[in-house]
Amino acid sequence: MIKILSAYEGLVSATVLGELRQLGNRLAGKRVVHVNSTREGGGVAEILDWMIPLMQDVGLVAQWEVITGNSDFYAVTKKFHNGLQGFPVTISKREWQTYREVNEENAVRLRPILEEADFVVIHDPQPAALLGLCPARKGKWIWRGHIDISRPTRLVWRGLRPFVAGYDASIFSMCQFAQPLPHPQFLIPPSIDPLSPKNMDLDPEELTRVRHQYNLDPDKPLLVQVSRFDRFKDPLGVLAAYRLVRKVQPVQLVLAGGGATDDPEGQEVLDEVLEAAAGDPDIHILLLPSDAHRTINALQRLADIVIQKSTREGFGLTVTEGLWKGKPVIGGDTGGIRLQVVNYHTGFLVNSPEGAAHRIRFLLHHEALRAKMGGRAREYVREHFLLTRHLREYLTLFHILGSREDASTIYI
Amino acid sequence: MGDFIIQDCSLLAKTSGLPAAINLRELRDRLALCSQDVLYHHFCETPLVPSFDNPDYRNDFAAWALLQLGDRVLAEQLGIINPYIFPDLEKLREQVLDILDERLSEVVFVPSCQPGGEFFFTEAVTVVFDTGKRITSPKALPEAIGTMTNGSIYYHFFEARRREPVGVDDFSAWLGGFPGQEAWCRALQTVDFVFFTLPELRGELVRVLGKGGVA
Repeated sequence: MIKILSAYEGLVSATVLGELRQLGNRLAGKRVVHVNSTREGGGVAEILDWMIPLMQDVGLVAQWEVITGNSDFYAVTKKFHNGLQGFPVTISKREWQTYREVNEENAVRLRPILEEADFVVIHDPQPAALLGLCPARKGKWIWRGHIDISRPTRLVWRGLRPFVAGYDASIFSMCQFAQPLPHPQFLIPPSIDPLSPKNMDLDPEELTRVRHQYNLDPDKPLLVQVSRFDRFKDPLGVLAAYRLVRKVQPVQLVLAGGGATDDPEGQEVLDEVLEAAAGDPDIHILLLPSDAHRTINALQRLADIVIQKSTREGFGLTVTEGLWKGKPVIGGDTGGIRLQVVNYHTGFLVNSPEGAAHRIRFLLHHEALRAKMGGRAREYVREHFLLTRHLREYLTLFHILGSREDASTIYI
Repeated sequence: MGDFIIQDCSLLAKTSGLPAAINLRELRDRLALCSQDVLYHHFCETPLVPSFDNPDYRNDFAAWALLQLGDRVLAEQLGIINPYIFPDLEKLREQVLDILDERLSEVVFVPSCQPGGEFFFTEAVTVVFDTGKRITSPKALPEAIGTMTNGSIYYHFFEARRREPVGVDDFSAWLGGFPGQEAWCRALQTVDFVFFTLPELRGELVRVLGKGGVA
């Protein structure tokens, strides 16, 4: 289904949509290319899936390119990912060489498109080296860092910084993630698409079907964490919290995640989780295909409490998804989860399995409060974390970078 | 008097380049050095930045003093500051520094935040664009305000005070150009806008202007 802006009327006001069209009209015909490393799986791919057609709908000539690489390349970029999020890693000269070579191979294919574009948005470290490989570039280049690089492993950041420093601007989800760089660093939190299969309203029959499909007990409270099987998402910590809750009341847990083509560590973490969960019929570990969006949607809607107990998190779109479905979220006190989870309003921030267990018990005990928090959570997302706000900020950024003025107020 | 040109605006926040502050002294020292855009952003652009429900304080310095330093006295002193009554931002800066210096002289230990609670100095770039819509008479003003975006309300009611005539919102400035509109100008100028969200403020402006109808 091709996404168009008018489909969002009713979810946001007509004036908000009109504002987007006006910002877009003044950029009509500008060529925008987004580049990332996977077409499916993970938050970036989900964002680009709606952003490209909506940018096209407001008048831009937008396209999405995906770099390709071998398993060695993804092993290196996974190390970047871990290192930038503070996990100690070392990267050998050979691995840096692999990184450069794969970017060079991709540059051969992408150079004509990228050098002609008015705006190029490079997402995350994987394709960051493309800038230096497109010397005849005409437009403005923006590096978009989606992950939490507030306390990176210095060696990794020192190695990557030269690839990023030459961009015209960078974007981070929060000011906490910004690093000293010789260009403007803009702050744009991500968002969700309320009409995507992952977030759209579902019939009660579909929820019932998913409940049966995965043998979920309708009479037991359900905790759901949806995320890749990644150490930073702390699935083992969620299991520990669940076990603490189960000591005092019946409860069931779903840990649902898909793989992403650029994440070679997923299977290893999944194996650890399966081993830790073995023998407990109330723990459901679901490895879902990357297109199981409606199933994830249904699981989040079936949940009594949504959990995202990350120890590092760029933004946490699964938190946004849970809030949009009217669920209080218990989230790790880190990164972008702090922007979304406000204690006693939209959920609780926690720092340990014990903290998570305590808040799960609190919320299960206070059913009316849970419903009230869920209502507030949905409105909070409507105001701040839907794609319309996100699109507006990208259009605003293009106007700023395209302006000849260097002022705090730009008239277009 | 000419037509009222309805503008809209979109803000984009960016980092200021200043290091984050972890205690009251660092806040004071960086506030003394920061650009006016940083000061303006943390005092005046907060209505357009995500926040939850009704925060206790509308400027970021007061909110930080309360939530991260746990200094309720300082939060109260900073929270009551109305940034729009100062003739320029340097005077506002002087007032804030005066309060911070006074507080630093009173406390035995410099209040510090916990890790993760640092104050990040940010600023914003505002892109302003003409909506193409015009208001041709004072009578049409309330209805037009009722359909304005948050960006338009912010631009004409908050940001306007930074432009000539300084300290006056665009609606009052425009109405003042028509004879017999003084009462409505006064009514707009007495709206205590600090505690309204932008959608609430839109409703309040319509209510104030609609009461009896702008002549």
